[in-house]
Amino acid sequence: MENMDSLMQYLPFLIPLVILQLALMLAALVHLLKHNKYRFGNRVLWVIVVAVFGFVGPILYFTVGRSEE
Amino acid sequence: MRGFYAFIKKEFLEQIRTFRLWILLAVAVLFGMMSPLMAKLMPEILSSMNMEGMVIQIPEPTVYDAYTQFFKNFTQMGTLVILLIFGGTLSGELSKGTLINLLAKGLPRRTVLLSKYVAAVIIWTVAYALAFVTNYGYTVYLFPETDVKNLFFSLFCLWIFVCFVISLIMLSSTIAPGSFGGLILSAGALVVMLMVSIIPKAEKFNPITLASVNVALLEGTKSVSGLTLTVSITILLILGSLIASILIFEKKKL
Repeated sequence: MENMDSLMQYLPFLIPLVILQLALMLAALVHLLKHNKYRFGNRVLWVIVVAVFGFVGPILYFTVGRSEE
Repeated sequence: MRGFYAFIKKEFLEQIRTFRLWILLAVAVLFGMMSPLMAKLMPEILSSMNMEGMVIQIPEPTVYDAYTQFFKNFTQMGTLVILLIFGGTLSGELSKGTLINLLAKGLPRRTVLLSKYVAAVIIWTVAYALAFVTNYGYTVYLFPETDVKNLFFSLFCLWIFVCFVISLIMLSSTIAPGSFGGLILSAGALVVMLMVSIIPKAEKFNPITLASVNVALLEGTKSVSGLTLTVSITILLILGSLIASILIFEKKKL
């Protein structure tokens, strides 16, 4: 319990971090659900990558997964 | 010169349109927030995983731990993100053939290459500055003692190292074919440099040193004067890569 309390004390610092991560994930999800074509892989693969790998997923999607059209 | 500015503008628009600029800025802020927090919370996280009867003694984290995280994030993940973001700028356009029209209308090839490089360096500089400001703000709030030595030189070392990585991307993109050619070749070159860095005698001549001495500089165990040679070599390598890539690009069949 003591540990939880000390973690709570850093909540104001953690919230922006979490919001930014979620924003990245949402941006990637919205984009990949709106588009059908990817440079490689399919929709299921990219949803998993974006949802599972933290902020690395959205980076990978926007740099190598997103189709150029 | 008019072509140069116009092309830089086109580069910025392209980075915005492809979301790459936003991704880089978001990652920069993320690293800036994450690094001091990770350093501060690591003992708490470790002790919450503590098993019955086992006591792990962890010293109180200091500002050096925060900067260790910051530089570690940037040299590892950061370099990778830079490679992913800028790895395709030239390779992609070459393989899609979108440059042919512009070049046929008389835009010099060196203008294309240099403006791509300058645009990438500007974007990297903005992202890095943003990351540092965020990191600094968090560090000041989370740590009582924030005095470190050689802060600006240490930051400069990593900055110039990434500028070198970007010049490497430009050179690789003119050599290797395909839309991922530049990315793969420059990543390969970095791996080779990383392996060479195991040899202690090569340390002074390897640009990768500039991405590994940062915390030692802050602690004062490495001096600025000991790194002037490495910085000069890195600047020469940047100029060399750019000149070589222009020469190769001028001769390349599109």
